[in-house]
Amino acid sequence: MSRWFRGAPAAGPEPILEPPPPPPAPDGLLRKNLLQVAAHEAAMLEGRVNFLTPELMQVDSLVREAAGTLQEALKTLDRSVQHQHSLASEVQSTIRTSLEGSSESEGFDAMSATIMGTLDGFVDHMLEISQSTVQLAEQVDDIRERSSRMENMLAELTEIAGRTHLLSLNASIEAAHARRFGAGFAVVAGEVSKLADRSTALSSIIQEQVLGTRVALDRTDAQVQAIASKDMNVAVRSKGESEALVQSLQTTNWLVKDLVGQLEDNARTISSQVGHVVRCLQFEDLVHQTLMACLMDLGNLLDQAQAWKAFETRLREGEPEAEALAALDGTLSGIEEARVQFRAVKSGSLSAGDVDLF
Amino acid sequence: MGHCILTVDDSSTMRQMITFTLKGAGYDVLEAADGVEGLDLAQGKKLSLIITDVNMPRMDGITLVQRLRALPEFKFTPILVLTTESDTSMKQKGKEAGATGWIVKPFSPEKLLEVVNKVL
Repeated sequence: MSRWFRGAPAAGPEPILEPPPPPPAPDGLLRKNLLQVAAHEAAMLEGRVNFLTPELMQVDSLVREAAGTLQEALKTLDRSVQHQHSLASEVQSTIRTSLEGSSESEGFDAMSATIMGTLDGFVDHMLEISQSTVQLAEQVDDIRERSSRMENMLAELTEIAGRTHLLSLNASIEAAHARRFGAGFAVVAGEVSKLADRSTALSSIIQEQVLGTRVALDRTDAQVQAIASKDMNVAVRSKGESEALVQSLQTTNWLVKDLVGQLEDNARTISSQVGHVVRCLQFEDLVHQTLMACLMDLGNLLDQAQAWKAFETRLREGEPEAEALAALDGTLSGIEEARVQFRAVKSGSLSAGDVDLF
Repeated sequence: MGHCILTVDDSSTMRQMITFTLKGAGYDVLEAADGVEGLDLAQGKKLSLIITDVNMPRMDGITLVQRLRALPEFKFTPILVLTTESDTSMKQKGKEAGATGWIVKPFSPEKLLEVVNKVL
């Protein structure tokens, strides 16, 4: 038997088991046995090749399809990461403008300062109004007191007018007793009486006015009390709440900024993983080349089958066994020598290969 | 003006992975499926770099390097060989043909970009 079958090949299909050596045979029987062996070897080799070739082609097709799908997924993933990166950058830029502004007068800090300044002014204004209201209430009380005094004075005036009127009446009576000597005095008494009447009438009018002023004062007092009763703490509390709100907004903005930063980190991690995927996807090329080497090796087996057929033909054509066997051995040796050159892929892993710059 | 790189490989997966990596870094990329197509595509183009496989139908990568070096416009253009072949004898053939560097598959995108940036 040929040395072709003595050892396992460096790679490729499993070695074919050596058939049991034929028993010693008489002349004629040896040739018959050799013919049987040759036909058997050729049929076995062809059968293996015919079985393995479509199997390997199928593996190649499946791998190519899987790689194609993975490539599309990779592209989609990459586009998504790019999109996420773009969105994160946009959000980051917006937040940066919001927090820092494009100038000193813009940005979240400037806005916060403006809001707090406005609130401070508003509260101070409210406090001033409150103080003015207290002063106004004091003035209303003062006017009411003065008005009350005026009413007392008017009462005295009315009483004086009454007494004056009474005096003029007495004077008229005394003038009547004096007859003609009292005529002039009667005239004076009449005038005094008229003045007393006018004084009484004026006092009534002034009293009405004072009463009206008092009513108006009471209304004003009620309004002032209503304003004064407003709790200034509300304004102060509102200011505090607004401050807390602004601070909360600022915190939220920083939180969002931090999250966007995390998104960026995540995108960088994915990009790094994409690099690994790009490296590993090259398995399709490595597998394809390996399969092609296997297919070439199968072609080699077909060559062996042809060699066995040629050997059979030689025997049938009457060539001496020794010569036919020598020719077979030479052919198989040549095929084996050619076979070891097929293997292009040496790497057994998907680690990145060496780089050599000349 | 950006750099234009020609990649020659009979594996569409390899071409896509190389293109994906280089385009991601901002380079323009042209693709050819073998040496003959690569040589046709290269002529008349202003290429900054050529990356070629070795084992390809019709014309292998070593022959492509030799043919390109024979053209005046590609006398000094960097040519990188990207292949599964890692034998020293094959590397020597590539070097003698005029290749600038030899990268064994599979490549890592970072390393490829590092080499590309170095030779450009």
